[in-house]
Amino acid sequence: MKRTVFAKMAFVGIERNRRLYLPYIFSCIGTVAMAYIVQYISVSPAISQLKGGNTLAAALSMCKLVILVFSLIFLFYTNSFLSRRRNREYGLYSILGVDKKGLIRIAAWESLTVSAISIIGGTVLGAALSKLAELGLIRLIHTQADYSVPVSAGCIGYTALEFAVIFALLYIASVIRICRCNTLELMKSEQTGEKPPKASALLAVAGAVILAGAYFIAVSVKNPISTLFMFFIAVLMVIAATYLLFISGSVFLCRILVKNKSYYYKKNHFVSVSSMAYRMKRNGAGLAGICILSTMVLVMIGSSSSLFFGAEESIKSRYPYDNEINVYIPALEQIEDNKTDEIKQVYEKIIRENAAEAKNVSEFTYCKISGLDSADGKIQLDPGESFSVLSYDRLRTFYFLTQDEYNRCTGERISLSAGEAAVSTLHCKFNAPVLEIGEMKLKIKEKCGEFTALGEANSNVVPSVVVVVPDYDTVKPLEKLTYGENERMLEIQWHYAYDLDESDELTAAIYEQQLDCLEKIDFINSDGISYNSGCRTKERADFYITFGGLFFIGIILSVLFILAQVLIIYYKQITEGYEDRARFAILQKVGMTKDDIKKSINSQVLTVFFAPLIMAGIHFAFAFSPIWKILQLFNLNDLKLVVLVSLAAFAVFGLCYTGIYRLTAKAYYKIVSE
Amino acid sequence: MSLLTVQGLKKTYTTRFSSNKTQALKNVNFTLERGEYAAIMGESGSGKTTLLNLIAALDRPTSGKIILDGRSIAEITDKELAQFRRDNLGFVFQDFNLLDTFSVEDNILLPLVLSSRSYDEMSKRLAPVAHELGIAEILKKYPYEISGGQKQRAAVARALITNPSVILADEPTGALDSRSTDELLELFSKINRSGQTILMVTHSVKAASRSGRVLFIKDGEVFHQLYKGEMTDEQFYMKISDTLTLLATGGERR
Ligand SMILES: Nc1ncnc2c1ncn2[C@@H]1O[C@H](COP(=O)(O)OP(=O)(O)OP(=O)(O)O)[C@@H](O)[C@H]1O
Ligand SMILES: [Mg+2]
Repeated sequence: MKRTVFAKMAFVGIERNRRLYLPYIFSCIGTVAMAYIVQYISVSPAISQLKGGNTLAAALSMCKLVILVFSLIFLFYTNSFLSRRRNREYGLYSILGVDKKGLIRIAAWESLTVSAISIIGGTVLGAALSKLAELGLIRLIHTQADYSVPVSAGCIGYTALEFAVIFALLYIASVIRICRCNTLELMKSEQTGEKPPKASALLAVAGAVILAGAYFIAVSVKNPISTLFMFFIAVLMVIAATYLLFISGSVFLCRILVKNKSYYYKKNHFVSVSSMAYRMKRNGAGLAGICILSTMVLVMIGSSSSLFFGAEESIKSRYPYDNEINVYIPALEQIEDNKTDEIKQVYEKIIRENAAEAKNVSEFTYCKISGLDSADGKIQLDPGESFSVLSYDRLRTFYFLTQDEYNRCTGERISLSAGEAAVSTLHCKFNAPVLEIGEMKLKIKEKCGEFTALGEANSNVVPSVVVVVPDYDTVKPLEKLTYGENERMLEIQWHYAYDLDESDELTAAIYEQQLDCLEKIDFINSDGISYNSGCRTKERADFYITFGGLFFIGIILSVLFILAQVLIIYYKQITEGYEDRARFAILQKVGMTKDDIKKSINSQVLTVFFAPLIMAGIHFAFAFSPIWKILQLFNLNDLKLVVLVSLAAFAVFGLCYTGIYRLTAKAYYKIVSE
Repeated sequence: MSLLTVQGLKKTYTTRFSSNKTQALKNVNFTLERGEYAAIMGESGSGKTTLLNLIAALDRPTSGKIILDGRSIAEITDKELAQFRRDNLGFVFQDFNLLDTFSVEDNILLPLVLSSRSYDEMSKRLAPVAHELGIAEILKKYPYEISGGQKQRAAVARALITNPSVILADEPTGALDSRSTDELLELFSKINRSGQTILMVTHSVKAASRSGRVLFIKDGEVFHQLYKGEMTDEQFYMKISDTLTLLATGGERR
């Protein structure tokens, strides 16, 4: 008998507060569905069967984890908002004679109802959308797959269990809240915070200083890898500063305006400025949260879509030719042996057998060595212990080409005498008049044109310097340098690459046949000479599975974050609606026209609403420089594309955000005009 | 000429969801002279608040006329209304209706700010009013920091600061303890003596007994009037009580 009473009270409570509960339940359903979808795809055979699919599956599992952690934080936040309202009812019940045990039971029924609806609704929605999402992902990574399992019971079980735990935690939190408060506190819980906001100049200034510091770090970051730690610090600083500025800074600003009597006591400013301070104080944390979520969405979508749309360019930069092979030559004197001619003949034969023709053939031999650059051109080799993250900035790979090879490949006419060199650089500068590596001393005679035929150099994380030397003897002194006992520092490689004007299938087939024959060549087989090779069409899949996968994850997380924003904004509008309704009535009685009130409210709502978007835009603008540098590590060198994609991302997000505003503003105006 | 004339005033509410009609005011007629202090009494739901709202032009009557200072309120356009209300009417509410986002001072200055007065003028006007009402010390405080009586005095100050032709008060003592009530009533008498016209809705016989005239409203009409004349507060008090008892028992009009 009693049990049903409590259940009934819980249902009635949800029903009565449906304006608050419905959006909450919807977003719970959304998060559960999203978690299910990601889980489903991460275990889907359609993905794991792909080459590189395991990595993608692992990334998706990570994404799932992010969703869970985020849901936990976000649901805690919204739940605390809900319970503020519910606590008042609990207070009333407790005055009417329901003891704490009873309240806990009511809360249990409530939580049970919400979680049951959310989990069932979420998995059903997830199951309905999962195929669609999978199809989308498969499109993004440019493959085909035959689909098998429509719904995965295991995934449903997992997802249900995970969210059951989250909801249980939420329930425990509300039980704690009920136990800690006495009746009167429960009743009052919605009315606390009526004090006028105090502005802390210190916090506001701290926020501004921290933000300036973070921005400074962001724009002054040279190499994102070397300063990854600093970059991380900058992100934390931005988060902290955003909170400080939204909570204290805005109130502080309003206080300054209030102090300025001739500004403040004006019809247009009076009401807006004073209630603005309140609004910011109430919603500062929420607004800062919205701002940070917006920034995250912008950064994620901006960078992942740049990668995705720039994928083709990245591939071309890493693989400038259709097929390529690099064979390691053990020593400089063996270059003259021309053993590699044998490989070339085999390769050409196979191309001919397939009735194809090699074009743009690129063949050359080069040597490379790595070291730390310093301004005077003295290169520090094998720094060993002293090598730290900080010196990463100065790390360079030097590619040596003889002038014959260079001139042949580029069509330039460089002519050097002994002891002279010409240099060109990629992603770095080299301005010293000399180059000194070990016992080799070269005078830099001139700068030469960029050398882009070497995909490995293009895509190397480490910036490279191409050094054109008169002959191989010039680099002879480097040959005796070793790491430890006998690992040579100088690597000598024969590079052979060509284009085919054929279909992807034939290009790949020729590549495979060539590799098969390569294995049978005597000296490669017996001497264990190593080589590496690549076929652009085959590697393309790798690129797309990475970039398409990242893009997919970016979209999923963005949807989640936007969902969270919708809810936070909706609740913000509702609370403000209730507050403003009373204010609206008073102002009207005191003699403010309806138009003036509407104008004032509109300007406040708009300011408060778009402040986070604008702030997020500024954050994003300052994050652009480090993002751009990270994208370059992925071989994306098209600045125009990245700028365009970023602007587009901001525009699309801005539209979404405005849409959210439109949607939630309706709820607001409905309350105000009731 | 009378300051305020109400003629054949009728107000019928139609609810949004049903076709039910509530007739709050049927046919109200009365006049208010300049400098008069009148109280309106009547049972709950008899239409007192409705009447006040109509006079304040917060709502439009179904039919009938309200003439304030020689001007028919119906002729005032919506645009002018707010300005008209600020210049001619001072509102004192039962629940103060102070905005918690403003300090007491700013709450009081609000109507002047809305009329775009200069800050100098505002402070010149504020000083005597605040002094008169004894709230000069709490001007910088916020509504949540002051007592109910102080809040009500701040609300009165806000009504007075525009020098309105008439003060409209809807149950101004409803939320006050007896001491604050006494203070407020003393204040009303005082400002009335200085020439201010006051129209006050009240349930309290004590409050009504301090006024110069009491209008009784029943079934949407002015059912009866009592003039204080030369009576003392106590005598008037007795008379009002008797009339109310009579009204409640449905007695005949005398
Ligand atoms: N906005 C409205 N819509 C519909 N009916 C209304 C509205 N306002 C008041 N009424 C009805 O009009 C009648 C008179 O209401 P009014 O508020 O004027 O009474 P009152 O005399 O002020 O009562 P009280 O002493 O309780 O304040 C009541 O029956 C009330 O239900
Ligand atoms: Mg009333």
